[in-house]
Amino acid sequence: MAADEEIVRVRNVHKYFTRGSERVDVLQDLSLNVPEGEFLALMGPSGSGKTTLLNLIAGLDVPSEGEIWVGNDRISAMSESQLATWRTRNVGFIFQFYHLLPVLTAYENVELPLLLLPLSSADRKQRVMTALELVELSSRLHHRPGQLSGGQQQRVGIARAIVTDPTLIVADEPTGDLDSRSADEILKLLATLQHELQKTIIMVTHDPKAAERASRTLHLEKGRLVVDTRAPQLK
Amino acid sequence: MFQFFTLMLKNLRRNILRTSLTALCSMLLVLVVTGVWSVLDFIDRQTEEKANDFKVLVTEKNKAPSRLPRAYVSSLREGAARGPDDVKPEDYMTWAFYGGTLDPNKMTRENFLFLIACEPEKAPTMMDELDQLNAADTARLQDAIAKMKKQANAVIIGPEQLKLMNKKVGERFTVNGLIFKDLNLEFEIVDTFPDAAQRYGQTSLMNLDYLLQGIDEYEAKTKKKIANGADPIAFVMLKVKNKEDYEKLSAQIVNSPLYNSPAVRCESAGSAVSTFLESWQTIFWGMRWLLAPAILGTLSLVIAVAISISVRERRKEIAVMKVLGFTPGHVLTMVLGEALLIGLISGLLSAGGTYLLVNKVLGGIPFPIAWFQRFFIPTNALWWGVAIGAGTSVLGSFLPAWNARGVRVADVFSKVA
Ligand SMILES: Nc1ncnc2c1ncn2[C@@H]1O[C@H](COP(=O)(O)OP(=O)(O)OP(=O)(O)O)[C@@H](O)[C@H]1O
Ligand SMILES: [Mg+2]
Repeated sequence: MAADEEIVRVRNVHKYFTRGSERVDVLQDLSLNVPEGEFLALMGPSGSGKTTLLNLIAGLDVPSEGEIWVGNDRISAMSESQLATWRTRNVGFIFQFYHLLPVLTAYENVELPLLLLPLSSADRKQRVMTALELVELSSRLHHRPGQLSGGQQQRVGIARAIVTDPTLIVADEPTGDLDSRSADEILKLLATLQHELQKTIIMVTHDPKAAERASRTLHLEKGRLVVDTRAPQLK
Repeated sequence: MFQFFTLMLKNLRRNILRTSLTALCSMLLVLVVTGVWSVLDFIDRQTEEKANDFKVLVTEKNKAPSRLPRAYVSSLREGAARGPDDVKPEDYMTWAFYGGTLDPNKMTRENFLFLIACEPEKAPTMMDELDQLNAADTARLQDAIAKMKKQANAVIIGPEQLKLMNKKVGERFTVNGLIFKDLNLEFEIVDTFPDAAQRYGQTSLMNLDYLLQGIDEYEAKTKKKIANGADPIAFVMLKVKNKEDYEKLSAQIVNSPLYNSPAVRCESAGSAVSTFLESWQTIFWGMRWLLAPAILGTLSLVIAVAISISVRERRKEIAVMKVLGFTPGHVLTMVLGEALLIGLISGLLSAGGTYLLVNKVLGGIPFPIAWFQRFFIPTNALWWGVAIGAGTSVLGSFLPAWNARGVRVADVFSKVA
C-alpha cells in the first residue's frame, strides 16, 4: 500500500499526562496508518488509551512526542487555533453522549459547524437538509435535543459530523449509550457512510458486534497496539 | 455574523430567570450611577456658571424687606464710583415689587399677581438662564422687551402663571394693589417666557417706570401719600468682572457718604456659591470617588458571578463547540458578547427609562438646596448608561470569558477530569 494513500499517519507517538509530579504514560511509541476509505475499529480495555489516541488523530490534543499527519497536514505541529480551524474542514466528531447544544434545534445543531465556513445561507440550508435526509431525520428539523430519543440524537450528531464533508470521521463509543436496536441503526449508518460516500471512519468501541461492522479492528493495551485484525472483505 | 448573534441570544434565553435577575440588578445599579453622575454634573454646571458670575445685590442694610429710596438708584447704577480709580459695574438692573389681586372681591391665589418691576432691557443679561436661551427664544424675548419699551403697561407673564390666571397673550387686566396699597394699575400681556426658561414659569415682568409713574400720578391726583411710595426699590443688582472688583465695589458702596439713611449693604451670589461648596465638598468628593466606583465595582462583580456560573454550566458545550472548530477567539467573543448584550440592553433601558421618567413624566425633580432649580437628567446620561452597562459587563465577564476560552477539550471529555 503506497504511503500517499494513507490518509492518517501516526509516527512513533508518545503521549503522557502529568498529574502533580507524577508522569502517566498513556501512549508509547505508537505508529499507525489508516488508508483512505477505511472503517477502523479501535478496541481495548478501559484506560488503555483509546480516547487519547482518537483525540490526537482528531486534533483535539497534541502528542508529547512523535508526528501525526492527516492528508498533507502535520497536525502534531499546529497551534490550538490552527487545529480548531483545521478541524472545521477535516474532522467530524461523533460523541458517546451526542453532545448536541440543548438550546438549538436539530437543524441548528447540524448547521452550527457550517457557520465557520464561508457559505451562503442557501448553501448552508442545502447541506443541512442533505445531511439530515441521510440520517432520515428530515421530519424532526425543529425538534430540540430534549424532544428526541437517544438514537435520534445520535443521528443528529452524525449529521453534524458529516455536514462539513470532512476528510475523517471519528467516533468515540458512538453506540455506548444506546439500546441494541438503536445501536444497530447507528452502525448501519456508519457503514453506509463508508460504502456510499467513501468516508474514512475511526471508531472506538467496547462492543465486538460493533467492531464487526468495521473493515479492520485494532486492539490497544496499555498504550500499545497488540493485535491487528484485518477484516477479510477489505481488498 | 448573524447566526452567531442569535446563538448568544439563545444562550441568554436558556436561563431566563438568571438573565433577567442579572439585567434587573444591572439596571438598578446603572440607575444609581447615572443618578449620582447626573447630580454631580448638574452641580458642576451650575457652580461653574455661578463661580464666574459676580452679581452684587445692594439692599437696605438693617431691614427686611429692603426698601431703598428712588434717589439712590442713579448713583448705585454707577456703583457709587466717583474717581477714575473706582470700579464701575459692567451692568445693572433695578428691582422693585408690585402685586395685587385681579378681583378685589375674590382674593384667591389664582387672582393674585406678583410682578417684578425693572428695566426690561436688562432681563436678558442680568437674569439667570435668560442669557442661555437658543436663538429663536432669544429673538422672541427681545421682541417682547421691545414692546415693553414702547408701551409702558406691557407685561411678560410666565406660562404657568398665565394658565393660573386663565388669560392669554394680548389680553388686558387690572391689578388692585396690595403691595403699594390702593395703587391700581392696568396691564396688557405682550408675551410669555419661553418654556426653556423653566424657572420663570410663574414670574411676571413689568416696567419700573410704569410703577414709579403710577405712584406719582396717584399721589398727584388724590393728594394722598402711598405707603412706601418714596422708597419703592427693593434692591439694585450690579455685575462685576471678578472677586477683586466685587470686593472693591462693595467697599466703595458701603463707605459712600451717599447712602446714610438708610444704610446699604452688598451681597454676592458668588460668595454664596463658595460657602455652599465648602460645606458640601466632602460629600461630592465621596459621591464621585467612592460611591460611584463602588457601585461600578459591584456591578462588574454581579456580572462576573452570573457569567461565571453560566460558563461553568456550559463547559461541555463549549468543549463541543471547540471540537466542531470554534477557536478560542470565537469562544471568548461569544461569552463577552453575551455579557455585553445584557450590559448594553440594561444600560440603555435603565438610563432611557430614568431620562423619560424624570424629564418627561415628572418634569424634573425639585432640588431644594442653595440656589439650585429643578434637576434634570442630562441627555448625556443616555450615553453614560450604555457605556456603564457595556464597560462593566466587559470588565466583569472578561475573566470567565478567558476561562471559557481556555477550556481544554481533552480534559473535559477525559474521565479523570
Ligand atoms: N487529560 C488527562 N489528564 C490526565 N490523565 C488523563 C487525561 N486523559 C486521559 N488520561 C489518562 O490516560 C489513560 C487513558 O485514558 P483514555 O481515556 O484514553 O482511556 P480509554 O481507553 O478511552 O478508556 P475507556 O474505555 O474507559 O474510555 C487513563 O489512565 C486516564 O486516566
Ligand atoms: Mg474512552
